[in-house]
Amino acid sequence: METTKKKNFNLRSLGVLVLVLYIVFLIGPIAGLDVPTIAASIKANPLQLIQFLIIGISNGAIIAIIALGYTMVYGIIELINFAHGDVYMIGVFTSLTVLSLTGTLNSTNPVQIVLGLAFALIIAIVVCASLNATIERLAYRRLRNAPRLAPLISAIGMSFIIENIGLMWAAQAWLVPSFGTTGGASQKVFPDMLSALFKATGFNGGDVNLLVASGLPLRLTVKDILVIVLAVALMTGLYLFVQRTQLGKAMRATAQNRDAAKMLGIDIDLVITATFLIGGGLAGAAGLMAGLYNNTAWWFMGFRAGLQAFTAAVLGGIGNITGAMLGGFLIGLLASFSDGYLNARWTNAWVFATLVLILLFRPTGLLGEQVGQKA
Amino acid sequence: MDKNIKSGITFGLIGGFLTFLFGGWSVAVLGGMLGLGLGLSLGSRFERRNPLQIARASFMPALVAAVILVGLSLVQNIFILPALGKARLFDNQVIIANTIGFLVVLLLTIITCAIHGLSERQEGIAKLVLLAIVIITFPFIDKATGLRWSAQVIFALIFVILGLGLNIVVGYAGLLDLGYAAFFAIGAYTTGILSSPQHGIYMNFWLVIWIAAGIAALWGLILGAPTLPLRGDYLAIVTLGFGEMIPVIFRNLTEVTIKEPFTCWILPGITNLFGAKSTLACITFFERQDLTAGEKGISPIGRPSLPFIGEFQSDNPIPWYFLIIVIILLSIFIIRRLRESRLGRAWMAIREDELAASQMGIDPVRTKLAAFAMGATFSGFAGAFYAAYIRGIFPSVFDFSASIIILVIVILGGLGNINGVIVGGLVIMTADRLFLPALKDFLASLLTNTILPSLAGNPVLQAAVKDNANPILYRFLLFGLTLVIMMAVRPEGLIPSAQRRMELHAAEEMAGPVIPEETAKPNAMTVAGKTKAAAKKR
Repeated sequence: METTKKKNFNLRSLGVLVLVLYIVFLIGPIAGLDVPTIAASIKANPLQLIQFLIIGISNGAIIAIIALGYTMVYGIIELINFAHGDVYMIGVFTSLTVLSLTGTLNSTNPVQIVLGLAFALIIAIVVCASLNATIERLAYRRLRNAPRLAPLISAIGMSFIIENIGLMWAAQAWLVPSFGTTGGASQKVFPDMLSALFKATGFNGGDVNLLVASGLPLRLTVKDILVIVLAVALMTGLYLFVQRTQLGKAMRATAQNRDAAKMLGIDIDLVITATFLIGGGLAGAAGLMAGLYNNTAWWFMGFRAGLQAFTAAVLGGIGNITGAMLGGFLIGLLASFSDGYLNARWTNAWVFATLVLILLFRPTGLLGEQVGQKA
Repeated sequence: MDKNIKSGITFGLIGGFLTFLFGGWSVAVLGGMLGLGLGLSLGSRFERRNPLQIARASFMPALVAAVILVGLSLVQNIFILPALGKARLFDNQVIIANTIGFLVVLLLTIITCAIHGLSERQEGIAKLVLLAIVIITFPFIDKATGLRWSAQVIFALIFVILGLGLNIVVGYAGLLDLGYAAFFAIGAYTTGILSSPQHGIYMNFWLVIWIAAGIAALWGLILGAPTLPLRGDYLAIVTLGFGEMIPVIFRNLTEVTIKEPFTCWILPGITNLFGAKSTLACITFFERQDLTAGEKGISPIGRPSLPFIGEFQSDNPIPWYFLIIVIILLSIFIIRRLRESRLGRAWMAIREDELAASQMGIDPVRTKLAAFAMGATFSGFAGAFYAAYIRGIFPSVFDFSASIIILVIVILGGLGNINGVIVGGLVIMTADRLFLPALKDFLASLLTNTILPSLAGNPVLQAAVKDNANPILYRFLLFGLTLVIMMAVRPEGLIPSAQRRMELHAAEEMAGPVIPEETAKPNAMTVAGKTKAAAKKR
């Protein structure tokens, strides 16, 4: 511990860091990192900074919930569950379909909207949890003792399969009429149910923006509040579950040393299935939240979201549940500021650049990784 | 039933199904492939003895296959084509095509089988000669029969080169590179920038192809140097990120401005704080330069030319075909020599046990870096050829899906095996570029002529059936399934290298759990111990 700390702060690393920073600022303007322009726009409208902060935290909450699925699975079986982002995409489509089938989409009855959303949340969680566990059963279980690359390749294949299920799903206009006739490849609208709910109740003057009365040029909507509250509740629940319950203890034991856990009578298969169920359920919840928050559903959305969430998990320290939450919020903020001040087209490049930089300078993440030994 | 006749039936049915899709003269060409395939698979079953005897034994399966193929082809011509509302070939052409197909199946099966009766040395030579004849005659037969498969086969061959390059990285050195298409893009864009009106530079293709390979290799080094010490799965993600970034970068390099940060804003900013003005001039390298033309892509790109042939034309695939064949042969030669070299053996040692290899004096990072750079070199060649062949390059061609197609090729064919990768490339790419479009056309005309009219009463269902019957839309489902199924059933690929197969199945033979060499610390939160353990395990 002491030696690594010393190593991290020696002169050579500092030199490398300065060099990297210089290069970032030298070629950064290509990707929108133009410091004078950014400074000018912050000066012109400082309140916007708060706006991007709000957006960043809300998106970060969604990313954090997806990241939890990555980090839990990686902590236990040291596998990047590549299909996890696509499970989240299925969560978006499931909730959209449930909302459509229950008639909630066109409803103006507030009770029906609330009940429909709750029902969609439950169904999305159930569908995604079982999908994730099925993926584990079909694609990963028999490869558990294979060389490390084998399950990863299988995971990539699974990701493609699920993406194509999403692509087919988005083409079924008979199931969800709002998909329209544009085919499965186009982005679909996820109706803004919360604005509809506010219009229906007339609460806050029928406006979803809570700050509308204050007259500030800011938007802090119920969507933000809902996403953040739901995310924090899920994370707290998960944390308590892992720390306090018998199964959570078994999970931690399996993560530390699978064989030792087995010898102590822990059913490894059950623990791994439970991990995948929980991760999938969280992805399903994130799906509904993201649909409500960003109002789009797209078959390819899982890929990008998955990469951002994985970056968040690595940033916080893979295998570390608290780390994934922290990483999620940080990546959300990074993406939001990049969208706002740099250039939205380069946001993904910035996220990846962050990933590379973390892996180079602090591969164990901000809070340290918690990965056991794989037999 | 006899095993040989069974495989005759299988091959005949596959060929017959393909003639259903392609129709016309395809029966003759497919007959040739069928004959070769059947002959090779039958031949290895016989004991080495008199060629005549083997030829006699292989006659019956060959006849069965030929009859099935021609029978299905005739059914297609006489019954199916009119039902699909398509014109069929003239009757005498049908007869000629099917007769040729029939004879070709018989002859090629028997010849390739009989070769096995020769001595081992002679068999090798004969197989090479046969292969050379097939490769050389293919574009001419293709042209004569009007099938127009050459253009797609050239694509397949480009991906064969890419597969061979990725095979060095994944198959030999065991590094999962999920962004391999990035180097392909770098090769293609280098060619595009150096020989197109985009920047008014028109360099000769024969020079550019080497520059493209060199620059791709350089980028392999630049990317590899910081990332290769990482764990295997982290490396996969970082390469994936790089592969994602490269198309984004090429798409958005349309207004490049590079200014030296210290003179342009750091110093002025600091002096500004004190109310003074910086006297240093701002050093500007680029001001709003359009490097890559963004989404529009770079075109037209210069084409190669040779004495006697002149400049290669887009409507004549034959010179392109032979050019790529030459590139592939060179690549195979180089890769074979590399594999047997000290470096190649070091790659495999690293793949199998990095710790042991480094104890034996192999520098893991340097060896991996060499693999990365070599792999990138071949995709540089492929990229340069691709750019010149297509004459225009667009960023969307090089995204994550391209990397995955190349990975599927390597996995399907067989990790670490050159022949396997070639077969994998041909199978995947011809399936993607020839089979799926033909299947789509076939399904579409089948539906419009038979099922859709009967659904006229139910427009919603009719639209649903029509929209979903498009296999091209779901081609990645096929690739995803290939990856999952191959990993589950045959992780060593269709044509595996013996060594790799033993490795991949070693785990199954290992009995019981392995006791880890270092027991885990009781406290889950200790980080340093974990990383040390992780480093030890790799």
